[in-house]
Amino acid sequence: MKKKKKILVVEDEANLCLLYREELTKEGYEVTAVTNAQRALDLIKKGDFDLIITDIRMPAKDGVELIGEVMQIRRDIPVIINTAYESYRYDFLTWAADAYLIKSASLKELKAKIKELIG
Amino acid sequence: MSELRKDIISGRWVIIAAERSKRPDDFRPAAEESKKAPERFCPFCEGNEDKTPPEVYAVRKKGTKANQPGWFVRVVPNKFPALTRGPAPEEKIDGRGLFRSLEGIGVHEVIIESPHHNHELSDLPLAQIKKVIKTYRQRLCKIQAEPQYKYIHIFKNKGREAGASLSHPHSQLVATPIVPKKLAEELRSCQKFYDQSKECVFCRLIKEEIRRGDRLIYQNDYFCVLTPFAPRFPFEMRVYPFRHEAWFAEIREAEILGLAEVLKQSLSRLKDVLADPAYNFYLHQGPNPNAPTEQTLKVRRSFHWHLEIIPVLTRAAGFEWGTGFYINPVSPEVAANYLRSAELK
Repeated sequence: MKKKKKILVVEDEANLCLLYREELTKEGYEVTAVTNAQRALDLIKKGDFDLIITDIRMPAKDGVELIGEVMQIRRDIPVIINTAYESYRYDFLTWAADAYLIKSASLKELKAKIKELIG
Repeated sequence: MSELRKDIISGRWVIIAAERSKRPDDFRPAAEESKKAPERFCPFCEGNEDKTPPEVYAVRKKGTKANQPGWFVRVVPNKFPALTRGPAPEEKIDGRGLFRSLEGIGVHEVIIESPHHNHELSDLPLAQIKKVIKTYRQRLCKIQAEPQYKYIHIFKNKGREAGASLSHPHSQLVATPIVPKKLAEELRSCQKFYDQSKECVFCRLIKEEIRRGDRLIYQNDYFCVLTPFAPRFPFEMRVYPFRHEAWFAEIREAEILGLAEVLKQSLSRLKDVLADPAYNFYLHQGPNPNAPTEQTLKVRRSFHWHLEIIPVLTRAAGFEWGTGFYINPVSPEVAANYLRSAELK
């Protein structure tokens, strides 16, 4: 049996965490969702994720700080930034990520990007 | 008493508020705020080439491969651009002429000025600054060949207050399918002066400033740097080539070293006098000569490319935004005096 690809979702809104987990699980991925960046870092240090999807605006540590720290631990994991804000696009620190998406009610674009990055 | 001064090129008035007069030390706290904790990861550092889009140009050590370490200057497209390359866009006009729009085509590139994170442009050796300037010229020549890009803007943001999100030394290039309003106004004003006097306003201005000398900071055989007569901001500077030329891409080999020297002089003086402030600099030049409009053809005689350097020491607020008038608490003569007497290492 083909091993499921593991995705870590970092999103401070619990209802969105639920939505992403449900929708991406339906697509055949194994999804872990956390609501803060520190918890995500702890999991990345221990786990073997194939992809990270992160929000940017989160309390305590934001998504830009998170991906900066991820690059020091595991720079080979692809990262998708999934934010409601266009303005971070001009922050070159986001270049550590592989894609910059604007949150949308339809997850079509997000699913397509995941497929492109990890299959 | 304060004084109102008019900038001959932009037509903008400023208030030089002599009674508010400030010394460089008064700006130090603002300048020091710009120093933040170092970034944990920098996509521009040598060794992180895989985190940028493939390079479109690089000055490299012999034998090194594209998108690998071994470069001196590297140019990459913006990874998450606001404008994307494409054919000339059609203008959409809606609301019986009230709402005009274009497809967002353009070029946005990042020029990484050094492989090393902590070497600011002003700290780089002249040979490296020359490589950066030659890179500007190469990119301008390349993008000018595509006539859908009507204007090509090169600029640098240094420090968070100046809009830089990374401290690794870099500048940016943005090509747009329209000539920006500010440039269009500058071009019109220069053309008007030329029509009246058959002379480039900048050529006249440079001669006059050199003769007076009170706003002159530094000069070499090819360039001069001075504080303008009516600056919007304290310690604002202009770099002018002595040779009349509308387009930066026409810069000659000997002039490149001259420009590297005045850039290093200007930025080092700013760093010494104002304790390493955040700053912006940008190029003003003629619109793309390969996308000629009626105005572009006249530009050759009437416009003169130059650099504007703006240290970020004060903020535009309600008065400035609402009126276009700027209040500057340091006269350009006083600023030039401080900058002339800077102690350079």
